[in-house]
Formats: sequence, structure tokens, C-alpha cells
Amino acid sequence: MLEIKNLHASVEDKEILKGVDLEIGPGEIHAVMGPNGAGKSTLAAVLTGRPGYTVTEGSVTFFGKDLLSMSPEERAWAGLFLSFQYPIEIPGVTITAFMKAAVNAKRSANGQEELKAGEYLKLQKEKMAFLNMKPEFAKREVNVGFSGGEKKRNEIFQMAMLDPSLSILDETDSGLDVDALKIVADGVNALRSPEKSAIIVTHYHKLLEYVQPDFVHVLKDGRIVKTGGRELIDAIESEGFDQF
Amino acid sequence: MGHGRYIDPLVDTRSVPGMTHVVKAGEKLELEFVVLPGESRDIDVSVDLTGPGAELSLKALYLCKADEKVNFRILVHHRAPGCRSTQLVNGIAGGTSNVTFHGTIVVAPDAQKTEAFQENHNILFSDSAKVETRPQLEIYADDVKCSHGATVGRLNEDELFYMRSRGIPRKEAESLQMISFLTPVIPEGRREEIENAIRSL
Repeated sequence: MLEIKNLHASVEDKEILKGVDLEIGPGEIHAVMGPNGAGKSTLAAVLTGRPGYTVTEGSVTFFGKDLLSMSPEERAWAGLFLSFQYPIEIPGVTITAFMKAAVNAKRSANGQEELKAGEYLKLQKEKMAFLNMKPEFAKREVNVGFSGGEKKRNEIFQMAMLDPSLSILDETDSGLDVDALKIVADGVNALRSPEKSAIIVTHYHKLLEYVQPDFVHVLKDGRIVKTGGRELIDAIESEGFDQF
Repeated sequence: MGHGRYIDPLVDTRSVPGMTHVVKAGEKLELEFVVLPGESRDIDVSVDLTGPGAELSLKALYLCKADEKVNFRILVHHRAPGCRSTQLVNGIAGGTSNVTFHGTIVVAPDAQKTEAFQENHNILFSDSAKVETRPQLEIYADDVKCSHGATVGRLNEDELFYMRSRGIPRKEAESLQMISFLTPVIPEGRREEIENAIRSL
């Protein structure tokens, strides 16, 4: 599904990623862990096309296509999703209006007919019920006045609505509270399927107590220095990142 | 905070031409201005709050996409105690448009317990558009709550990226950000019309 080869990337002329190799297959959950400054957030940013990051070497293909030449919206249409660590507030725009624009843009780009208001609302209601969310939530302005947990819930709701093939969850900050992490974990677990994959970027083993990753990678100084299974999480927890 | 000598607006030569609204004790005046793309306008407004408890709420928005010239000259004069005024003027300057905002609040010496707020926020939507904003407070009373703020900025790339990462095309993401920015000044009942005008920029 996703193939990253020798990826180098810089921010303001400072090289952060120094040759990342990573392959993600369908249905797999990968955890990318590493100390602060290792390049975890940069990896998430480069994969989703955030402005300000320059790829200097290497390639990324997504379902065989060159991901790096696509705009952020084209990547979303191709089935990529990024759950933000700190979602942006959009006063004056309701969650319903925002997500309807997003869902229909994706449908239209993929040659599907846009959903009419009634059809959209039905889909929204189903997804919200699935995630145990109150319908009033959708009437609120996007992330305005939301608690940390509500913002996370909104990210997972958007993920459910857009039904991506690959979700990237940027949970780099160790300062997030456990309840917010649990919302993310529950969402990932609920949406898990043999076709859907996820990359969870985190500093924090706590999140991985709730989501079982198939693979764990250690990212250090811009490279993946170790790949393994759950046992790596325990090793990191007991001895930190210095051992790698 | 006061500077210079207090000049009564009736003899103040800086008083703007055009209409002077007088708001008497206990009355409330609401003014709304909408300048749509393609319109060049001079909006000259003087408001005199002459009686205790008089109130003004002024909201204005402008949208420019070509070579429009839009000038706001607003003078709000608090002449009596306990009056309240709020001004909010937001807009988008695109094309080669030229926008100026000169807003003055004068609080007379005996206008104690005045509350006066003025905000002017502008987004430059092209490299060739110009915005000049000059907010001014002249306060001659000592027991007042007054503030003013003015910004000239551009669309926020982080916000745009958030929307684009959800599959919203850049153009629509820009429109949504502008709608969000202008929401506080969109008059009731005109939201659809203004959203359409924003999407035409």
C-alpha cells in the first residue's frame, strides 16, 4: 500500500529525515516511536504534504502512485488521512458543513456522485452512532471551544467519515492526557479492518497499551534503526531509546 | 491616555463628512455595512452618543477582488457617561484594491464609565492589494474601558492545510477560511449571499 524508500527531508535547510525506509501493507498497524526530535512529526507531515517541508531524496509510493507529487487534497482523495496532534479551530463553520465539503470533494474527485444533504446527514448519523457520539456535536463549530478529548473525538469522527485506506495518527506529544489517547485508540480499534492500515506516531507507550500494533519501529536521528513487534515497546519502556 | 486638547465634535474639523447619527439617552443604534466585490465606496460615519446609556453597534465587511477603492472614516464620540460602543470592520482585499480604515473614538471629559471597543481586521488576498488601517483613541475621561485592535494579514497556511488534508480543495479551503473570518460581521439573513460573494473572489 505504502512504500517509503530512502526518504530524506528538511525543514528550513535542516535535514530531519535522513533515509527512512518503511513498507505498510493492507490491514497493518505500525507504530513509529522515537525520542523527541527524531523526526516523527516530520515523517507524518511529509507523507501528508504539509507546506514547509522539503523532500531532498528518496521516494514514497501509495498504491503504486508517486505520493510526493500530489497536493494534500489529492492525497486525501487517494485514501490518506492525518489525525492532527493539535487540530485547528474554524469559527463560523459547523462540523456538518466542513465534513460535507470534505466528503463530497473526495467523492467528486473519485468519480462518485456527490451526496445530497439528506444522504449526507444519514451517513453522518450512522458514523456518529457507531462512535457513540451525540448528534448535537455536528452542529458545533469545528474545534471551537473543544476540550482536548473532544478535539480527538472530532478527528476520529472525520476519519470515520472519510474512510481512508491509510490513517496517520500524530500523537507525538507526551503531554496529552490519557483520556484523549484512549479516544484515539478506541477509534483506531473500531475502524480496524483487513484493508485499512494505520501508522501511529508516538513518543508515548501509553497509547500502545490500547492499540495492538503489528509492527513497531524505532525512529532515531532521522532513520528507522530497529523494527520489531510488541516486545520493542516493553524494551523502550524499561530502558528508553538510548539502547538503539 | 488622553493627548492634546479635547475638541468638541461640533467644531471639530476632522469630523467626517456624511451623516452624523445622534444617539440619545437609553437608545441603541445598530449600523451594518456590506461592500460587495466590484463596489468602490466611501463610508463616512459620525456617531454622537449624547445621552447616558446610549449604545452603538457598528459592523462592516468588505470584499474586494479588482481595483475597488474602499474607505472607512468612522468617528464615534462618547459625550455622556455610561455609553457603550462596539465597532467591528473585517474584510478581504484582493486584486489591486485599495482599502483604508480611519477610525477614531473620542471620549469626552465627563463621559465616565464609557465602554468603547474598535476592531479592524483585514486579509490581503493578493500581493497587489493595499490596506491602511489607522485606529485612534482619544480619551479625556479617566474611568473608562476602551480598546482597539487592527491587523492586516494573509490566509493561514496551517488552517488551509488542515482543511486540504481532509480533501477540501485549496480554493474551497480558502473560501471556508474567509467565511470563518467574516462570520462575526455577516448580517443576519445575508449569509448565503455573502458566502457566494466570497466564493467569487
